[in-house]
Amino acid sequence: MSSAAAAAPAAVRPAARAVVVKHHALVRLSHWFNVPILFGLIATGLSIYWAAPVFQHARDAATGSDDYVADLGIWIVRHVPGAAGDHDPGGWVYNRLGIGTFHLAQALRLHWLFAYLFMANGLLYVLGLFLGEGYRALLPRLSDVPEALKMIRYYVGVVPAKLFRRPWPHPPVKSKYNALQRGAYFSMPMLGILAVASGWAMHKPVQLPWLERLFINYNGARIVHFLVMALFAAFVVPHVVLVFADGWDTFRSMIVGWSERVREPHGKA
Amino acid sequence: MEKPEVPVQLPVSKLRARSRRDFLLFGAGTLAAAAGFWWLMPDDTRQMHLTPRLRDWMDSLDARLGATPERREKYLNKTLTFDDDIAEALYSPDRSVRTYSKSDVNPLRNNYNGRTPGPEYLPGWTLTLSGLASGKIEQLTIGDLLSKFAHHEQVTRLFCVEGWSMIAWWGGLRFADLLRAYPPAPGAKWARLDSAVGLDSSGNPDPYYVSIDLPTARHPQALLATHVSGKPLPLAHGAPLRLLVPMKLGLKNIKAVTSIAYSATEPADYWNERGYSKYDGL
Repeated sequence: MSSAAAAAPAAVRPAARAVVVKHHALVRLSHWFNVPILFGLIATGLSIYWAAPVFQHARDAATGSDDYVADLGIWIVRHVPGAAGDHDPGGWVYNRLGIGTFHLAQALRLHWLFAYLFMANGLLYVLGLFLGEGYRALLPRLSDVPEALKMIRYYVGVVPAKLFRRPWPHPPVKSKYNALQRGAYFSMPMLGILAVASGWAMHKPVQLPWLERLFINYNGARIVHFLVMALFAAFVVPHVVLVFADGWDTFRSMIVGWSERVREPHGKA
Repeated sequence: MEKPEVPVQLPVSKLRARSRRDFLLFGAGTLAAAAGFWWLMPDDTRQMHLTPRLRDWMDSLDARLGATPERREKYLNKTLTFDDDIAEALYSPDRSVRTYSKSDVNPLRNNYNGRTPGPEYLPGWTLTLSGLASGKIEQLTIGDLLSKFAHHEQVTRLFCVEGWSMIAWWGGLRFADLLRAYPPAPGAKWARLDSAVGLDSSGNPDPYYVSIDLPTARHPQALLATHVSGKPLPLAHGAPLRLLVPMKLGLKNIKAVTSIAYSATEPADYWNERGYSKYDGL
């Protein structure tokens, strides 16, 4: 299991290289389509949310705000140097991360557009998962629990170990993904389903009453929809950081579909 | 179960060619996505992002690709129509709107910041019906409506397009009963309802009107409400008569209805003219 072995086939046959197929073309396409679609859904969703926030508190006499998202904007304008002096602190999140305050009609139209694209893209993704049999690597298994704990232990110790120049081997990974990756990558389509279900529950609560009841009531669906958005946003940061940490081959594999890491089972992102 | 990864030997030249193709596609796709995204954003949203130079660059890129604001409006309105068609396909006249118990009722919320007519308007109020099979124009007083038609009550949720909602206990006559007593002309598919609430907060004319499809109007839970919480409607909530269509967004639930005009073609709708959907089916 030495990474040096990866160079061996190239030495024998310099004109050829050993690669493993990682992602089906439809999985790759839908992965990248998701970037502008999710970005658009979140930006327009925030502007819809602005019209009637679901997370509210009693009106603050000092700021005039009764909305936690507006509070976040006020905090950012007060404490983040680049945002200082903004003329509308309460609207900061909606104006900078959304398409703006007082844009409900435009935001709704755009949200439906991105939502239908998101659903179509989800079908493309599922089709790609089955055509490329990528779903097999995504399915959770019992061994994921102890392996996830080992991975957490590895991540907690990896920086101190590097600093003190101690050996800190990566836990062995026999699958395409380690247990933490599988957990993250499996939960994304699940979150997608939850986003679509809570979206339809809000959009058609009268014609789809069973769906509304699945979320207890209309506000339940609104809360779930908002939290799903926050989880999607929270996924992006470690996802991008870990892809950068893992290197070029991992990033490239989501564009070209194959990886040169043939004998090295330690994919990390 | 997961299969082990099987390495394949591929010629380096083939891998290079595929990489080049896929990265070129990726770059073109990124540029197209950026141009498309920029094109879809409202004009004043664009002004809040990027630098003036980058904004100009994106604007000219869109102009070269033919991505004009007119086309944007056209496609986004098509999206709205598509979503309306889905809503219409989902609609079933036999499906009841979820009802609640009187203990679930929330405080009434009035989201209108324009002017509401004063109580002096009530004695002279009539409901004008036009587009009838009889060819006549009917004028009904609130007394006519209360005495001629059976009273129905329901506790339903009103959903605002903004996202808030409230449960209220409504009472009134069924729109379906009015349609049966005064049938619209053959071929009529729509109704336009006008309101007495027609002045904005500074007192300028701001007439309010909605379109309703007749299948919705015929639903047993579509009321012409005269009562809320067991009492006659207050002025702020549409005295003496408002439309209550709980299978539609709140904005279709027009207050202080003064006229109902039936037509074969789809009438104008206040909020549709302001960029919202036409059908608004929940």
